[in-house]
Formats: sequence, structure tokens, C-alpha cells
Amino acid sequence: MPLDYRRFNGPEDSVSYKRYTNKYYKGYDELYKELVDDKGRRKDGRALDEARSMCMFFARTDLISQAKGSAYIELKKTKVVCSVFDPREIPHQNEFSQLGQLYCEVKFAPFSCAQQRRPHVDAEDKSLSVALRQALEPTVCRHLFPNYQVDVFVYILEHDGACLAAAINAAGLALANASVPMYDIITSSSVAIIGKKVFVDPTEAEEHLAMMSPETEGTNHGIITMSMLSELKQVSDFVQIGSMDIECVTEAMDILEKECENIVPNIQKVLVHNVVQSFNQRKQLEAEAKEREIALNVKMEEWKKLLNAG
Amino acid sequence: MELETDVVSHASGSARLRLANTDILVGVKTEIDIPKPDKPDSGKIEFFVDCSANATPEFEGRGGEQLANSISNMMQKAYHSAEAFNLKQLCIFEGKQCWKLYIDILILECGGNLCDAVSLAVKAALFNTRIPFVKAALMDGGNIDLQLSDDPFDSKLLDVGTAPLLVTLCKIGDKCVVDPSAEEENCSVISLIVGVTGNKRHYYPNHTDKQCTESKCTTIGMNGPGSVVSKTLKDAIKQGIVAAKSLDEALGQALLKERQQNIGMKKHSYGFLK
Repeated sequence: MPLDYRRFNGPEDSVSYKRYTNKYYKGYDELYKELVDDKGRRKDGRALDEARSMCMFFARTDLISQAKGSAYIELKKTKVVCSVFDPREIPHQNEFSQLGQLYCEVKFAPFSCAQQRRPHVDAEDKSLSVALRQALEPTVCRHLFPNYQVDVFVYILEHDGACLAAAINAAGLALANASVPMYDIITSSSVAIIGKKVFVDPTEAEEHLAMMSPETEGTNHGIITMSMLSELKQVSDFVQIGSMDIECVTEAMDILEKECENIVPNIQKVLVHNVVQSFNQRKQLEAEAKEREIALNVKMEEWKKLLNAG
Repeated sequence: MELETDVVSHASGSARLRLANTDILVGVKTEIDIPKPDKPDSGKIEFFVDCSANATPEFEGRGGEQLANSISNMMQKAYHSAEAFNLKQLCIFEGKQCWKLYIDILILECGGNLCDAVSLAVKAALFNTRIPFVKAALMDGGNIDLQLSDDPFDSKLLDVGTAPLLVTLCKIGDKCVVDPSAEEENCSVISLIVGVTGNKRHYYPNHTDKQCTESKCTTIGMNGPGSVVSKTLKDAIKQGIVAAKSLDEALGQALLKERQQNIGMKKHSYGFLK
């Protein structure tokens, strides 16, 4: 991968100072014990099956004025910004395409993770972009803008697990905010599986451990992210990494389906708030316009009188 | 389906697979590298897919890049878990040196069902990959000087019994089709790719470990602009696992047969001329 030489990239072989702290050398079992306390609570006080969508969720739209639509989603420490731009003609394409296209790009901020991220696009960014596109394509009415593409840019400011799910949620909200025609609200959720424990909406530490291979053979581990169109009951994307048996997968699917439905009201609330706000805004604008017109009319009358008198 | 291993002389392991009209050549190169600081005791594996313009004119220039990326991503995800492929067997010195496998996948002809064909060819190539033994090592300050054995037969084979196979299921109408042809792929709006671990018994007949006979999903992904109902998804995953199991058994038998022929020097090499 070519480096951007206009930036200061740091020495090639530098390592994070955290490698030399005690925490780094903790074994698998030790890390595993840390995740859940005796009462079955996770580090941030949640139960195993409790997502952050309930009380640690924040979403808003219209924060980027240059973009047609934008959204910001916060799941405690996972923070994602998404912006959607006007449709434009697909660049470098000779053939006419019947369906409009979505161009998705996911990027991590250099300071978003524990380890420093290089500013150039790496493999993880690319695979997240592909997954995001896969998730969004079935939701958008692409036949309405043939030969055009809509750009969706996601920037991950802070990564504390479930970043793909957060990116998909934010992108869905931003698309709706940009008034791109869609079939349904898209929501997404993820679980991390370690042995028999299922962590809904995992944090970075939980994800990290789920991706590590346990020492005993045959234990289930891995991460599943699923995105759904809840009203239509359609799964638009399903990504699983790790190693688990079929029962585990189907079980996790049921949990994820429920979780995706739980997020819908959150998104709806923001959208309704948007509509109300824009209504009020329009009303205010109309009232102002009327006021101006009355004032103008009064002025006109005055001038007419002056002219007639002169 | 035609499969031949050990077709490229300069690679540590190689395989060529022809599945109907799909033609794939895989070469495995081994190099020495420094292990990652967070995984000092395991090696590295990397996949590169090259869609040559021979396959279809669409691949000319950067045309096949997206497809190549998605396949190599899929493979990387499928091989991520230690249950699928144990990277610890690639360790030379913990925290100092390890083997890095470069798996180069060349798509010579494209006739549908690329993912499945690629995963089969990769497993076959890994099965006959030979890694030279380390004869001696000199510690010089912090650096290590390795002396490798020159004899090509003085080498170890990799344990790839559990390496995953990918199965693509194309949804056409209400049914899911396994092993789709290029025409069938065009018909379906959504396909599901399931990666399933193999069974060691099919590759190492004297392997008696009763564990790890169970097939597990290592990766699941979706491809295409459509979407599915969750029930269909569940059924498709089950169907994919069944298909992968039989595919794995057949591949194991074929590879063992070829190895025996190799030992007896009876093997007739076909190469690319058919």
C-alpha cells in the first residue's frame, strides 16, 4: 500500500507503548473473567442481553450543512458520522445502468482505535464499505435514479465495538434525512459469541476476545452482524466471522432480529422530530414572507400616493 | 470437476482446479516474517486474487478488482479462526520468526461459482504445501540466523484437515441453488456464501481424534442487491453445511488418492494440456 508522504507517518516499525504495560500480557482466561462480574453484569453495567440502544443511544441529523443529508449516532463510546450527497452521474462509465448505484465508503479516524490507524484506506475499511453497500442496496429504491449514484460516506470517530452496525444505522438515517426514496427503515445490530455466552451489542474488548481463538477446541466464538428491514421482515446483510455451529447461528439470528426491531423506534423518533421541525420551519418562513409582503404593499401604497400627489 | 496438485515447480504448493467452465490456479509461496506482537506464537496467511483478463474481457485493467477484493476478503475471513486453520503450526521462534504463506489465486477462466472453486483449490494447494525443516539456528545478539534444509523432501506438510470450504447458494425463486453456473448466477438477485470447516478424517485416515468431526460455520456473507427472509436464510445455511460436508469428503478422497499415486511414482501429469 503506498503511503501518503505529505503526512508524517511515523517510523515504520514503531509499536504502541501499551505493549509494554502489564495489561497487554493478560491471558485469555484473565481477559474473559474481566468481561463479566459475579452478578452477570458487563463492565459498563449492562446485562448480557442488553443493547446500548436503550439508554446509551443518541442520534441526530442535519449536522453537516454541505451534505444533502447527514446523521450522527452514538452508542456510548462508539461514535459515527454519516453524510449522504446528491445523486450524480456515475463517473467513468460508458454503459447505461438501469438501476442507480450506491457508493459507500467507511473510514476510521486515525485516533478512533486503541492502536493508531494509518490515514490510508486499509483492508478493514474496504470490507466494511462492501458490507455497508450490501446492507443498503435492498433498502433504496434504486430504479428511481437510473444512471446516477448516491454517495454515502461514513466516518468512525470513536470505535468501541459494533461499528458496522452503527455505520449501517447511521447511513440509513442519513439516507432518510437526504430524502432518498427507501422501502423501509434499515436497522442493524451485532452480537459477540464466546463459548456459551452471547454478548449483545458488544464493546471493543468483547469483540477482541470473541475474535481470539479459545484454547479449548470446539468452543463457539465469533461475531455476527445482521441488518434488517423490520417492517418487511427482510434480512439485507448478514456477516459472520469466527467458528460456531448451526444452532448457535440460528439462536443468534433470533436475538438479532429482536434487537433490530428495538432500534426502529429510536430511528423513527429522530425522523418524526425532523419532519415536525421542518414543518415548523416552513410555517415560520411562510409567516415571515407574508409579513414582508404586507410591509411592501404598505410601502407601495405610500409611493403611489406620493406619485399621485406629485 | 478436475483437480491436479503440484503443477507449478517454483511454488511450495499448488493446485489447479477446473469446475465446469471455471478454471483456477493456486500457488502457495512461503516466506519468513516477524509475527505480530499481539500473536507471538502464530504465523501469517494472506490471500491475493488475480482476475486475469483472459477470463473475461470485463476484467481488463482494473475491472476485476472489486470481485478479486471480495473473494480474498471472504477467504481471509473464512481462515481467520484457529478452528479453521491453526496458524500456530507456522511458528518458528515465538515472537521472533514465523512462516508467512502467500496464497496467490489466479482466475484463468470464469464460468460461475468462483468462491467455491477458489476455496477448493486453496485447500488442495495447502494440502500439498511443503515447508522446509529448520536444521539449525544461530542466535546473534537479537537476530536469528536460520539454516534450512536444502533437500526438498526433508519438509513437513501442513495440517489442513479443518480448512474451510465456501459454498455459494443462489436464491432463484423460492429455492436456493448450490453450485450455480454463470447463467444461474445472473438469474438470482441474492446469493449466500457459507464457509464450513472440513473434517480431519477425510484427509488423514489414521487420525483418530474423535473431536472436531462436527462442521462449523466460519464465515457467512451475502452478495448481490437483494434481501431474504430470515427463515430462508436459516434453511440456506443448513443446506450449505450439508453440501460442504459432501464436498469436503470428496475432496479428501481425491487428494489422498493423488498423494498415493505420487508416492508410487505412478502419477501421470496432465498440466494445462487437455
